[in-house]
Amino acid sequence: MTTIDERIPSTLPVTARTPWWSNLRRMVAPLLFMSPASLLVLVFFFTPVLILFGISLTNLSSSTGFRNWEWVGLENYRRIFVHPQSVDVFRNTVKYVLFTLALFNVGLAMVLALLTTHIPRRTGFFFRSLWLLPRITPSVVYIMMWKYMAADAPYGILNQHLFGPLGVEPTNWLPAQAWAFVILTNGFVGASFGMIIFTSAIESIPRDYMIAALVDGCNLLQRIRYVILPMLRWPLLFVTTYQTLSLLTSFEYILLLTEGQFNTEVWSLWAYQRALNNYWGNFQWGFGAALAMILVGVGLLMAVVYMRYFQFNQLVQEPKIEAL
Amino acid sequence: MMEVRLIQLTKRFGDVTAVDRVDLEVGHGEFVALLGPSGCGKTTTLLMIAGIYAPTGGEIRFDDRVVNRIPPKDRNIGMVFQSYALYPHMTVLENITFPMRLKKVPKEVMLKRAQEVADMMGIGHLMDRRPGQLSGGQQQRVALGRALAKEPDILLFDEPLSNLDARLRLSMRAEIKRLQIELGITSIYVTHDQVEAMTMADRIAVMREGKLQAYETPDDLYDRPKNLFIAGFIGNPPMNFLDVEVVHQGERYLARRPGLEVAVAPERAQKAAGRGTVILGIRPEDVTVGQGPIQGQVYVVEPLGRDDLLDIQVGDIRIHALADPARRYAMGDSVQLAIDPDAVQFFDPRTEQSLLWT
Amino acid sequence: MDEHLGTGSRWRVAIPLALLTGISLPIAVGYIWIGVSTFSQRTFGLVPVDSQGNVGGLTLDNWSFLWEDPKIWQVTLNTFILAVGLTLGVVLISALAGYALSRISFPGRRPFLATTLILHAFPSVTLLIAIYFVLRWLAQLPLVGRDLPLIGGIGYNTLGGVILVSVGLELPLGIWLMKGFFDNISWDIERAALIDGCSRFRVWWQILMPLIKPGVAALSIFSFISGWNSFLIPYTFITTMEKSTLAAYLRSLLSDTAPVNYSTVAAVGLFQLIPVLLFFFFTQEYLLNIFSGGTKGGT
Repeated sequence: MTTIDERIPSTLPVTARTPWWSNLRRMVAPLLFMSPASLLVLVFFFTPVLILFGISLTNLSSSTGFRNWEWVGLENYRRIFVHPQSVDVFRNTVKYVLFTLALFNVGLAMVLALLTTHIPRRTGFFFRSLWLLPRITPSVVYIMMWKYMAADAPYGILNQHLFGPLGVEPTNWLPAQAWAFVILTNGFVGASFGMIIFTSAIESIPRDYMIAALVDGCNLLQRIRYVILPMLRWPLLFVTTYQTLSLLTSFEYILLLTEGQFNTEVWSLWAYQRALNNYWGNFQWGFGAALAMILVGVGLLMAVVYMRYFQFNQLVQEPKIEAL
Repeated sequence: MMEVRLIQLTKRFGDVTAVDRVDLEVGHGEFVALLGPSGCGKTTTLLMIAGIYAPTGGEIRFDDRVVNRIPPKDRNIGMVFQSYALYPHMTVLENITFPMRLKKVPKEVMLKRAQEVADMMGIGHLMDRRPGQLSGGQQQRVALGRALAKEPDILLFDEPLSNLDARLRLSMRAEIKRLQIELGITSIYVTHDQVEAMTMADRIAVMREGKLQAYETPDDLYDRPKNLFIAGFIGNPPMNFLDVEVVHQGERYLARRPGLEVAVAPERAQKAAGRGTVILGIRPEDVTVGQGPIQGQVYVVEPLGRDDLLDIQVGDIRIHALADPARRYAMGDSVQLAIDPDAVQFFDPRTEQSLLWT
Repeated sequence: MDEHLGTGSRWRVAIPLALLTGISLPIAVGYIWIGVSTFSQRTFGLVPVDSQGNVGGLTLDNWSFLWEDPKIWQVTLNTFILAVGLTLGVVLISALAGYALSRISFPGRRPFLATTLILHAFPSVTLLIAIYFVLRWLAQLPLVGRDLPLIGGIGYNTLGGVILVSVGLELPLGIWLMKGFFDNISWDIERAALIDGCSRFRVWWQILMPLIKPGVAALSIFSFISGWNSFLIPYTFITTMEKSTLAAYLRSLLSDTAPVNYSTVAAVGLFQLIPVLLFFFFTQEYLLNIFSGGTKGGT
C-alpha cells in the first residue's frame, strides 16, 4: 500500500549516481549535431565582427600592405565624422531606405496583398508568383533589364514605347533619374517579402470577422480599414523592422545599377567600395571597416530589439524528450 | 517478464512538480493502469519508465537493476501511443520489423515473427500498405504489433484507445486484455478513462497532481475508496457527498443534517459517530427512488438510456439517483428516497481521508 | 478571403485585376524584352530590328557564345558546383543543427537559439570586409587551403572559399527553417523510435529526415537558386574569371569599356535565367513557403 502521507517533509532520496560517461554522452551528442554549424558561425560571423572591429582601429590599406600598418585608435571614426562625403552618403542612405520601404517594401507589398486576396484564388496566386520573379532572377540579369528599360533612344523601352509617343525628349533615363531607378529596382524585389507575409496574415483572419463586417454593412474599403489593417499590426511591424535592416545594408542592386554614381552612394556601398572594390585598386581596409562597423553596430542593435519584440521566448519550447 | 518498481520517483519541470514521490510496484506479468485526470502526471511517469524523461529524483528499477540512466533503446520496452506514432514513410511490414532490425534479429526470424504478430492482430493482409492508408483501428493494431514483435519485457500504453470511436474502443479493450493475459507481459497502461482502467487492469494506480492517491484492485477502489478524491473520481455518475452528523440512537445509527435523517449500518457508522460533521458518500445506484424516509423534489431528469439520472432537491442540497425510466419521473415531481445503509462511505472533512478504510 | 464574400459584382474583381496588371507590367516587360532580344540582332524597345533599324532581324547569333567562348562552360560548371555545394552544405548542416535545437535539451540551447535568431536578422553583407581577411587566412591552411580538385580550395580566390562563405552566411536562415520543420513533427513518433532502439542520430536520419522531406526540398531549391544566382560573394572573392561564376561573367560583359551589345548579353542572361525559371515554374508553392519561412515570430 503506497499512498504517500503528504505531511512527511519532502526529503528526496539522492538521484541514482551518474556515471561519468553518461554525462559525457549528454554533452557529446548535441555537440556532434551542432559542431558544423557552430564552426561556420564562429568563422563567418563572430570572428569577422572581431576582425572588423580590429581593422577599423588600424590604417591598414593596400598602400600600407600587410606589414607596415599601425594602430590608429579611433582615427578612422573621426575621419568618417569629418569626411566631406559623409553627410551626403548618410542623407542618401536615409532617402534610399525610407522611400524604398514606404513606397514598395511595405506600401506596395500591402497593396499587392490586398489586391491578390480580393480576386479569384488562382489569379491571385499567379500575380504573387509573378512578383516573386524579380527576387529569384539573378541580380545581374535583373539589373540588365532595368538598364535596358532606361536606355537612350532608339533602344530604351521607356523612350520607345512610353515617352516617345508622349513626345518627351528622349534621353538615357538612368543618369537622368538615377534615384527613381535605385528605388524602383530595389522596390520591385523588396515588395514580394511583405506581400507574402501580409497575404498569409490576411488569409488567416478568421472568416467570422469578415462575415460579421459584411453583416454590419461594411463596404470593401471600410472592411480594409476597420477589419484587415488592425489585424495586420504585427506583420506590419515585423516587415518594417526586418526590411529596414536589410535595406540599410544591401547594396548589390545599386552596385550593379549605378556603382554609386549620380549621387546614389549609400553607406554600405561606400564601405564596400572603399575596402574591397574600386577602380583605383586602392583598398582602404581600415577606413572601410570603420564604415562597416557602424552598420554592424546598428544591425546588432536592431536585431536584438527585434528579437525582444517578437517574443523569442514563445518560439522556444522545451524538448519533450530528454533521453539521448 | 519483468518486475517494475518506482521508488520515490519525482519529476520537476522548472518549478512545476509533475510527479511527486511516487512509489509503485508492478509485479511479474501484472497489468497496472495509471488513472487520473489530465495533467496528473501519469504520462510523465510512463515516459520516465520508458526512458524518455530523466527522473529528477527517486529510482526506477527493472527487477533489481536501477535503470534511471539507461537510454530507452536499451530498456527493451514496447510502447503504444495514443497517436499510434507509426512511421508514415514505412509500410506496415517495415514498421513492425523496424525494432527487430535495430536489434539485429536474423531476417528469417524477423519476417516470421512479424507475420505471426500481424496475423494475431488481424492485419496480416495489410503488410504492404502504408499507415496513411489504414483506418484508426488498423493503425493501432499495427502499433500494438510493432510493440509486441520485438518481444519486450515490458509493455507501456499511453491512452492507446482514446483516438478510436466508441465501438472500436470496446473491442480493442477486450483484445488487449486477452493478449496481455496470454503473453503475460508486464504492462503499464495510462488512461483517463476509468472504465478502461476498471475493466482491464489487475491493479489501478490513481494519480492526482503528481501524487499517487491509491493503488489497489478495481473492486477495492470502487467499494472501499481511501479518500474523498478517489470516491468522487471513480464511478459514473459520481458519488453523492453530504455533510452529516452521525449519532447513536438506541440500537440505531443515524446520519443527520437539516431536513434529512437516515439510518446507516452500525459497523460503518461506528467509525464516524461522535466526530461532529463528517462527509457521507453514497453512490447514485445505492439511492432508491420510490419509498423512503427522505423527501425530495425532482429538479431535473437526465435520461441515460438504461436508467434515468435524477437530480433531486433535498432541503438545500441535491442528490443524484438512478431510477427506472419506466417510472417516467418529471421535473417538479415529489419523490421519496431511501439510501442503502450498507453502502455508505464516511470521510473526515479536514483530511479528506476515509474513516472506514485506512 | 475569397470570391464568396463579395456580392459578385464584376467590378469587384475587374478593378483589382486591372490595377494589378498595371503595376505588374514592368516585370512582364522586362522578361518579354529578354526573350525577344536574345533572338534579334538588336531591339528598339521591345521590337526586334536588323542592323538598318528595320523591323525583323531575327537571328541565333547571340547564342554563339555557347560554342565560341570556351570560358562559358567552365564558368557554368563553376556556377553549378557552387549551387550544389551551397545546397548540400546548407541543407545538411542546418538539418543537423535545426534538429538539435528543436529536439535535444542540452546546456546552451537557448543562447544558441537566440544567436541563430539574431544572426537571421543580422545583415551579413556588412561582414564582407572582414571575411576577406578570413579567406586570406584560410588560403594559407595546409592541404585544404589551395589546390583541391573541382573547388580549388577553401580560401581566397577559390570556388571552395566562396561556397564556404555562402553556406556560412545562409546558415542562420537554414537552421531557423529546419528547426521550424522539426518543431512540427509529433513527439510521439520520435519517442517511439527511441524506444524501438534508435539512437538520436539514427532517429534524425532514418525517421525525421524522411518526414520533413517537403521542407528539405524547399530549402534545397531555395539554396540552389540562390547559389546559382549569387553575384556579390563570387564577384568579391574570386578575381580570376576562369574560377568565377555566371553572374560575374555576365557582369564583366556588361561593364566592358566597349559599347555593350545588349542582345548578346541578354542571351547570356537568359542562359543563366532558364534553370531558375524552370525550377520556379515547378516549385513555386514550395518557394512561397520558404520566403515566408522563419518569420513565425512576427505573424
